[in-house]
Amino acid sequence: MAAARTSTTISLPLATRLTTAVFSLMLGVFIIYGVGLSHSETLHDTAHDTRHSYGFPCH
Amino acid sequence: MLVKYLLATIVAGLFAGILLTPAMYVRNVPLILHAEEYENAGAAEHSHDAAAATATTTAESAPAVAPHVHDEEAGPELPFGRLGNTLLINLVAGAGFALITGAAALFFGRKITLQNGIYWGLAGFFIFNFAPSFSLAPELPAMPAADLATRQAWWLITVVLTAAGVYLIVLREEIWAKALGVVLIVAPHIYGAPEAEDLTSAVPPTLASEFAVSTLATNLFFWVVLGTALGWAIQHYAASELEG
Repeated sequence: MAAARTSTTISLPLATRLTTAVFSLMLGVFIIYGVGLSHSETLHDTAHDTRHSYGFPCH
Repeated sequence: MLVKYLLATIVAGLFAGILLTPAMYVRNVPLILHAEEYENAGAAEHSHDAAAATATTTAESAPAVAPHVHDEEAGPELPFGRLGNTLLINLVAGAGFALITGAAALFFGRKITLQNGIYWGLAGFFIFNFAPSFSLAPELPAMPAADLATRQAWWLITVVLTAAGVYLIVLREEIWAKALGVVLIVAPHIYGAPEAEDLTSAVPPTLASEFAVSTLATNLFFWVVLGTALGWAIQHYAASELEG
């Protein structure tokens, strides 16, 4: 149990993690913006049911 | 760049997106389709109002209604059909939420595992679904609503403040941080979400309440699957990368 607890932290230094974390965050935010918030009509119509179902403001 | 880590989060997101699609079709999509019947009926009534005489409206309103119905059926959407489009968007959205969750864990130096994955999922549900839905209930088509851009801004600010609040409460030890976290989470609800001026709705209130509950249930399912899948995928595909 003690071993399981210590393994939930990552031992890599922040400098090693930061590039991936920033890239991953930016890509994720870009995707969620496109799926949920973009005013593009094509994206809105394609994502329509997902937007409603997810609780994004729609229409 | 921790490529295996990125790929593991995307795999988990795609998996959760696939499972989300049938879950959405149990309740949410039938309710959306039901609400759209009222939306189209409402449009027809408006064109009836515009033309005063009832005898002429049947002939005149037909072309007036047709373009609207046409928009609903075949707008400028991608050509995979309604189910195909929804599946595609769910896959993409799943990957997006997975990337954001994975990035947060990486920033804070925490490892998502099969055991704690459900807690990451519950945090995501709370931040992205529950908190915004608390003041800005999930909407059906044709429900009255305030200006779209204002609601989107409120949604985004609420998500960011709630995420900061969850971080302060869960990952910080200091008592001031936990207190500040509560303030950040509560603040957007005290400020209040943008409300429609006219609450008259073509959609029956029972449909709206059923939809609000069913979306929360569906999204809770999605986030629990996503969190657990993230833990599994990261442990299986990216463990060696994270050992450093």
